[in-house]
Amino acid sequence: MARTEQQSNEKYGGRWFWRYASPAAFFPLAGRIEALCWVLAIVLSAIGLYLGFFVAPTDAQQGEVYRVIFIHVPAAWMAMVIYLAMAFWSLLGLVLGTRLSFMMSHALAPTGAIMAVISLWTGALWGRPTWGTYWVWDARLTSTLILFFLYVGYMALAASFDDKKKGDRASALIALVGAINVPIIYFSVKWWNTLHQGSSVRPGSSSMATTMLTAMLIMTFAFWAYSIAAAMHRLRTGVIEREGKAAWLRDAMKGWLR
Amino acid sequence: MSLRVAVGAVFRREMQLFARRKSDWANPLMFFLIVCSLFPFAVGSESERLKLIGIGVIFVGALLAAMLSLPRLFDEDARDGSLELLLTSPEPLAVLILARVAALSLALGVALAVVSPVFALFYALPGDVAAMLALTVAMAVPTLLLVGAIAAALLVSARGGAILTAVLVLPLTIPTLIFGAGAALRVLYGESPAAELALQAAFMLLALALCPLAAAAALKISTD
Repeated sequence: MARTEQQSNEKYGGRWFWRYASPAAFFPLAGRIEALCWVLAIVLSAIGLYLGFFVAPTDAQQGEVYRVIFIHVPAAWMAMVIYLAMAFWSLLGLVLGTRLSFMMSHALAPTGAIMAVISLWTGALWGRPTWGTYWVWDARLTSTLILFFLYVGYMALAASFDDKKKGDRASALIALVGAINVPIIYFSVKWWNTLHQGSSVRPGSSSMATTMLTAMLIMTFAFWAYSIAAAMHRLRTGVIEREGKAAWLRDAMKGWLR
Repeated sequence: MSLRVAVGAVFRREMQLFARRKSDWANPLMFFLIVCSLFPFAVGSESERLKLIGIGVIFVGALLAAMLSLPRLFDEDARDGSLELLLTSPEPLAVLILARVAALSLALGVALAVVSPVFALFYALPGDVAAMLALTVAMAVPTLLLVGAIAAALLVSARGGAILTAVLVLPLTIPTLIFGAGAALRVLYGESPAAELALQAAFMLLALALCPLAAAAALKISTD
């Protein structure tokens, strides 16, 4: 064990973490990260939801309905963060040619798209009682919708190549193009919105009670943990799918198979 | 020197193809005309109502028509093998792609820009709004084609190209749609369109600087 580690250290210029660019090396570690993050996600969301639904005080203006923020806001943040992470891994894959980076990017995309949908859906349910409408063409809503389109485009492109390597690099390029465009689209929509109608009611404009903020932060960490766990699970599935019958994979899967 | 020759040759070839195969620009124009004439049936024919939706309909119609001609950029050449010649050329691929997009923009952009003010008559829009529409469509079409060249290059060898092109390209054209249609709207309301025009020109220049490089990288990936 020590010998192989030393060998790989020499091979990769002494930086231990580069070892994990290999699917064979990362596969077991991904499994451990996944398990840890599932536990974190369940525990944190139990605490966060309890604080959010039972401990946090009722909002003076919005009543009970505001409690959707404990789901809505973390989901909206994750939708953005995951896109950035996806673009980061895509860039890494294009520059270094590491196939695990592309797989990481593919593993993140569905979770990001789900987060965008959750934030739009819960936002609509929140908007109806507070703004009186399910949907307004507000800058944030509109750019989250466009973010969802970008996720879908990325996934559709990746799926449309028979040659997996080509699909990896093609979808990585479109992820980067999207990442450059996201801020441009956001500010365009913002200016467009102020051109046509006055700025709409902004969520969270009133100051928040400490318990509300705590609950929201805990829920945010829960969403992070869930996203990492889901991505790691999808990454491992992707590795199994692609590496097929590699000998190392059969060794690693011994506990699960048969 | 030889770069100039290569760019000139690519550009001339595209223009000759356009001159000889009239359907390449006539079909997008027909599509544009039909899209523009469908909307009054759906919303009613009162001129006040038409005036409000006219700018948006014409602008989106022009973008869709331009988008439909995107497969023309590389698909046919990939089939008959002439794309290989482009790829093996010693000249920078990004510049050659730019020459191609420039030819398509010139042919299609001018055609769409010329007919837009005519279609503005359908929607009872005044003359100055129609002229502004022509100008902003003329800027929006090259922007869309530049961004679309990336998607067209990626999808040369992929399945289900046409519909996927729409999914990939249209969200990225929202800024030019906002400010192109916005400029015409300003004129309709009797205000100055300077800010919107400047922003739309900025997007076009940004696309001009970045998209040929990305499209060249995309073409290398998909024909690898």
